[in-house]
Amino acid sequence: MTQSPTLSRRTASAPSQPRKSRRRGADARAGYTFLLPWLLGFIALTVGPMISSLYLSFTNYNLFDAPKWIGFDNYATLFQDERFLQSVGVTLQYVVFGTPLKLAAALAIAMLLNSKRKGQGFYRSAFYAPSLIGASVSIAIVWKAMFGDSGPVDQGLSFFGINLGGWVGNPNMTMGMMILLTVWQFGAPMVIFLAGLKQIPTDLYEAASMDGAGPVRKFLNITWPMLSPVIFFNLLMETIHAFQIFASAYIISNGEGGPAGSTLFYTLYLYLRGFSDFRMGYASAMAWLLVIVVGIITLIFFKTSKSWVHYSGDAK
Amino acid sequence: MIDRRKFLTTVALGTASAAFLSACGQSSSSGQAGTADKPVTITYTWWGNDDRAERTRKAIALFESKNPDIKVNGNFSDFAGYWQKRATEAAGGGLPDVMQWDLSYLRDYGQRNQLLDLGTVKINTDAFEKSLLPSGQIRGKTYGIPTSTNAFAVYYDPAKLASLGIAEPDGSWNYKEFNAFLAEVGAKGNGTLFGGTDYTGIWWNFNIWLRQNNIKAFTDEGKLGFSKDDLKKWWNLTADLRGTGAIVGEDKATQLLPKSPFGSNVTATEVTWDNFMAGYLADSGAKELKLVPVPSDDQDNLGLFLKPSMLMVASAKTKYKDAAARFIDFMVNDPEVGQIFKTSRGVPASKTQRDGTTFEGTDKLVVDYEKSIEKYLKDAPEPPIVGFGTLESTFKRVTQDLNYGKLTVDGAVDAWFKEAEDLIKQNA
Repeated sequence: MTQSPTLSRRTASAPSQPRKSRRRGADARAGYTFLLPWLLGFIALTVGPMISSLYLSFTNYNLFDAPKWIGFDNYATLFQDERFLQSVGVTLQYVVFGTPLKLAAALAIAMLLNSKRKGQGFYRSAFYAPSLIGASVSIAIVWKAMFGDSGPVDQGLSFFGINLGGWVGNPNMTMGMMILLTVWQFGAPMVIFLAGLKQIPTDLYEAASMDGAGPVRKFLNITWPMLSPVIFFNLLMETIHAFQIFASAYIISNGEGGPAGSTLFYTLYLYLRGFSDFRMGYASAMAWLLVIVVGIITLIFFKTSKSWVHYSGDAK
Repeated sequence: MIDRRKFLTTVALGTASAAFLSACGQSSSSGQAGTADKPVTITYTWWGNDDRAERTRKAIALFESKNPDIKVNGNFSDFAGYWQKRATEAAGGGLPDVMQWDLSYLRDYGQRNQLLDLGTVKINTDAFEKSLLPSGQIRGKTYGIPTSTNAFAVYYDPAKLASLGIAEPDGSWNYKEFNAFLAEVGAKGNGTLFGGTDYTGIWWNFNIWLRQNNIKAFTDEGKLGFSKDDLKKWWNLTADLRGTGAIVGEDKATQLLPKSPFGSNVTATEVTWDNFMAGYLADSGAKELKLVPVPSDDQDNLGLFLKPSMLMVASAKTKYKDAAARFIDFMVNDPEVGQIFKTSRGVPASKTQRDGTTFEGTDKLVVDYEKSIEKYLKDAPEPPIVGFGTLESTFKRVTQDLNYGKLTVDGAVDAWFKEAEDLIKQNA
């Protein structure tokens, strides 16, 4: 839809007035025609289901029988459901600790990879590789094996005299394991950071060096402010992404959110309610609550961003 | 710029060919019966371990060689994931043609018109005990045909007990004696061998205990037939054992999944269905496993019963009713299928299949066990309520939380009752 103004601007140089408007209409039609496959998919596969899930969230729906309208009951019961509250706690923990750690790792590696060094292309690919496979089912299975009883992690730690046993079965350790898994997948934000770092003019650093600034000073006064739009973008995307964690938790806990509910992430509980317990109305209510909360968090991010994100061209 | 005429021609051509293609698809899929040259393909899904997968593949190969006009596409998963997959498929209207089924979920799907009424197709049930068939029926319609029966039992590994110098049990024990036995194994097992898993975490075990105390699990109106106090008593039975060597910790058990602790040689006993024998033998590599009755404080009332260990069902939406019916008939009646599965699905329910199967070694143990408890057997329990599958898995989950020390017995009872009451209200 945003394409039509661009198209018409391009054809604005057409000679005569009536011909111009005819062409404009034809171009718009062509544009929409090309857009049609995506538009149909968007309406049929995204907007449609979203609207029907909004309706279902106000009903008692078991997947098989016709939905029964119950008003706000689903939303009201949510807050008396201990497992729901637990899933909120687990997810918040993951978002609050996982996301900053992941971004810190991504930024640190991006800065290392930004310096001129031999074989930098190889290192960049190597560090990006985990993200390519990170979201896959196989990695979750590998992760589960690594952190099991007498798995490599357990053995490695006991070499240093730390005996934690398997992490997978220990409710106090599973969160750490899940956060490590997400931190390890720093590739996507790293690439974006790297691109951002390349945009920073090197003369700024040279000038700072002349003035005798050390690496910390350069980071705080040049890198951070210059990179802040990219940091903001990554923070926003990764936060939203973290709220949606599902596949790895599903696999590591055998689809149950265990041990003792320690990996009962929001979306996993939603899935269990919908597809294990046949409470699709309840699950829909959970989905919409998540949409609203993530929306509010995004809004807060944008509001606060004014104080710390600097765009080039802003008045200093 | 797009040439209007060319564009329209392309669109017209595209639409025509799409219509043509879908017409082709239509003609082939509406065909009910296949031929040897052009067989129909039905899908079949089941839960179980590798051992069962191997046996099922053999049975399917046999079926296909005897029925060249039908091909069977097999697919399997573990029990917990199995039901989530079926729910997703049912919601999308895409259940497999034929499925292995559990009694716990028969009402959920049968009452909601997801399963085919097998009374409308040709399946021979002459060789079945008349008392067993109603377990697959709801309101006069037959949704499932039992493949086999199973009963609850205590498994133990004689070699492991011998190595610890513990005498083999004879199965005439009450709960106190059984607990003492578990504790002894735990004490002598010294952290490498545990007594068993927390037997209070299994719904059916609780159900048997209720029967021993003459309490019904569910009333005829589909409500709970027992009180919070009953459940408290039950979960308190192993209160002193939790966290000791008598019961393997959840942290260990969780990591062994999808294998069970008993199948992984971590425990010396397990209380569960007697048809798990083949699976346990395959998983653990043990030379021999034995079965004795479950404990009871009333030695005249063991609360035991024969339950259809699994049923065969078909999707209500299957396009190949006849092929599905023939496959089900084959799986439940054919003597050669009995030879393939032995007792790994339970003791065959059809007499034709049972008589055609030779039971030796451990398989004979299972058959003998079911014979030995014959005098204690009572009617199968009342059919579970809609949503029972959820109650069963919640029961297990809550007991796991108990073992992790995240819940007290009182808290666990409250949590389970809340879930159960919600569910009953939901489905009322």
